[in-house]
Amino acid sequence: MDRDDRPGGEGPLLELTRISKHFGGVRALDGVDLTVSAGEVVALIGDNGAGKSTLVKIMSGVESPDSGEIRVRGRAVRLDSPRAAAEAGIHTVFQDLSLCDNLDAVQNLFLGHERCGPSWTGRRVRRHVMERQAQQILESLSVKLRSLSAPVSELSGGQRQGIAICRALISDPAVVLLDEPTAALGVSQRGEVLDLVDRLREQGRGVVVISHDIKDVQRVADRIVALRLGSKVAEFARDGYAASDLVGAMTGAHERHDDVRSEESR
Amino acid sequence: MTTSTRPPVAPAAERRTVVGHAIERAARMPRSIPVLVTLALIWAVFYSQSPFYLSFGNLTNLTLQIVTTAILSLGVVFVLLVGEIDLSSAALSGVCAAVAGTVVVTHGLPLAVGIATAVVVGMVVTFVEAQVIIFGVPSLIVTLGGMVILQGLLLVVLPEEFTISIAGTPLASLALTAVPAGASFALAAVGALAFAGYRTLLHRERTSTGSGGSVLRSVAAPSVAAAVGLFAVVFVLSRQRGLPLPVLILAGMLLVAWYWTTQTRYGTHLYAVGGDREAAQRAGIPVRRMVMYSFLVLGACAAVAGMVDSSRQLGVSATSGAGPLMLNAIAAAVVGGTSLFGGRGSVWSALLGSLVIGSISNGVQLLGLSTEVQFFATGVVLVLAVAVDVVLSRGSLLPGRR
Repeated sequence: MDRDDRPGGEGPLLELTRISKHFGGVRALDGVDLTVSAGEVVALIGDNGAGKSTLVKIMSGVESPDSGEIRVRGRAVRLDSPRAAAEAGIHTVFQDLSLCDNLDAVQNLFLGHERCGPSWTGRRVRRHVMERQAQQILESLSVKLRSLSAPVSELSGGQRQGIAICRALISDPAVVLLDEPTAALGVSQRGEVLDLVDRLREQGRGVVVISHDIKDVQRVADRIVALRLGSKVAEFARDGYAASDLVGAMTGAHERHDDVRSEESR
Repeated sequence: MTTSTRPPVAPAAERRTVVGHAIERAARMPRSIPVLVTLALIWAVFYSQSPFYLSFGNLTNLTLQIVTTAILSLGVVFVLLVGEIDLSSAALSGVCAAVAGTVVVTHGLPLAVGIATAVVVGMVVTFVEAQVIIFGVPSLIVTLGGMVILQGLLLVVLPEEFTISIAGTPLASLALTAVPAGASFALAAVGALAFAGYRTLLHRERTSTGSGGSVLRSVAAPSVAAAVGLFAVVFVLSRQRGLPLPVLILAGMLLVAWYWTTQTRYGTHLYAVGGDREAAQRAGIPVRRMVMYSFLVLGACAAVAGMVDSSRQLGVSATSGAGPLMLNAIAAAVVGGTSLFGGRGSVWSALLGSLVIGSISNGVQLLGLSTEVQFFATGVVLVLAVAVDVVLSRGSLLPGRR
């Protein structure tokens, strides 16, 4: 699983340019730019209706933008289906986790990426291979499960979140999108998830975290992009801001002070 | 559930844990266990009334009676697994039987041509239905309309006298053919060896990744059990004229369906689509194509069921595929443990459910009871089976808990 396809130098892994999206008369996104580099965690913050979820849906291939360009590793891509996004190397962990309750942990981890035998066996699932890999991945992120073969409906919320995030590692994506990863978790599980985000960064992936939670964002993000009413209103580099700046950008209190925008080059 | 009749707190809590534990343990069991218990109870009741009920002759008879329902029910299971429903496959089985009859009897073409044509017609019809369902019309409505249309189509396919007699034609040989006892036991031996071989393969794969258990528990014991069961079934069913061909057809279809649903990637995707369509879609599974595959399987099953049934009845008529066949096939799938809401169940539920329903009607007829007893008993078993399913999946007897 070498990542030798990374272009030399510091070109961004994911680059969105002037993305716009309308739903009927509602302008959900208006000319939003976003870049994510390798080994960088970008947080996307904003109040309800700021356009965060629309942007996630566009990056994950659920919705198509009306206009704008998406480049992955410098190459223009059309993300017109979740499969296209996955093939381009973007993996999304949705807030609802998108687990199939009736399937077990191994089946959920590998869903859509099953390790299979040759076609003459009718693509027989190589369960033993998947179980071993699942154990390795779950252990590497210290997610503990009672059973690999119990339906995930029997697992706790933290365990389910763990499975959903471990799933990001199965297809070895360049960019991982995490939609409100800590929203439904208790304090200790929240810390574990944020540690996991650090680990994704150490692996040289680009990470986009969508969150309401200022504390989580401050703890984990290298760069913070604030959306408001469909537009990018501010961008902060790590340590280049105070918590009140973030709240201000989200609520619009700083709208008239464009100088709050911090320098983009750290 | 009024608050005034609620017992004091401590005993209630205690009782809940005892019952709750039992339910939780039952929920982890394979869904076939409660069905097998039900089947054993039904057999015990009828056997106590008439010892002839469990004779070789009647057991063979019972098996032949349920083959049509079981094959059709197998197709219904596939459709239920992806979270759809079908009401048209019984009518479709009649149409397919009429097509096969027309090809083989009226036009005198070889049996293989007739079978192939019927299967293709079945799959084309369900393909069209699947397209309308994928387009967005609920499957309940599409297949309800389809059922009525197919009843009309049956009258179009049938000749003017509305019957095709197939006695003495190659089609009749489907039901009449039987594998001699000796060859049947050879088949059972091959089956048992194949089972043991596959268990060995799985065991070796697991040990290669360091997670294998003992050979005794994962290979030897299940293989011996399977061999004993297989030989017992063949012994009982081949006592009269040998092993009937319809039983072999059903067994073959069940085996292929088992492999496809539990051992392959497509099977996982099938369950994923039934479990959570949105999650499956996001994982890149072609949801619409999986729904279509299920309906294609149903079409093939309906065609085979129709031909086997007409072969047993020695004719196709305007009433082929009518009567209780459709409801029995759906009820069998559900009684056998397949969820109406998709994603839970197995292909064995088609066999087990058909056995339960068939055992009731067989017993009622054997004892000379009136038909309404059969209806009452079948209806009660159906509702009870779904109630058990609800309790097990909710994990509690009380509504709204968990």
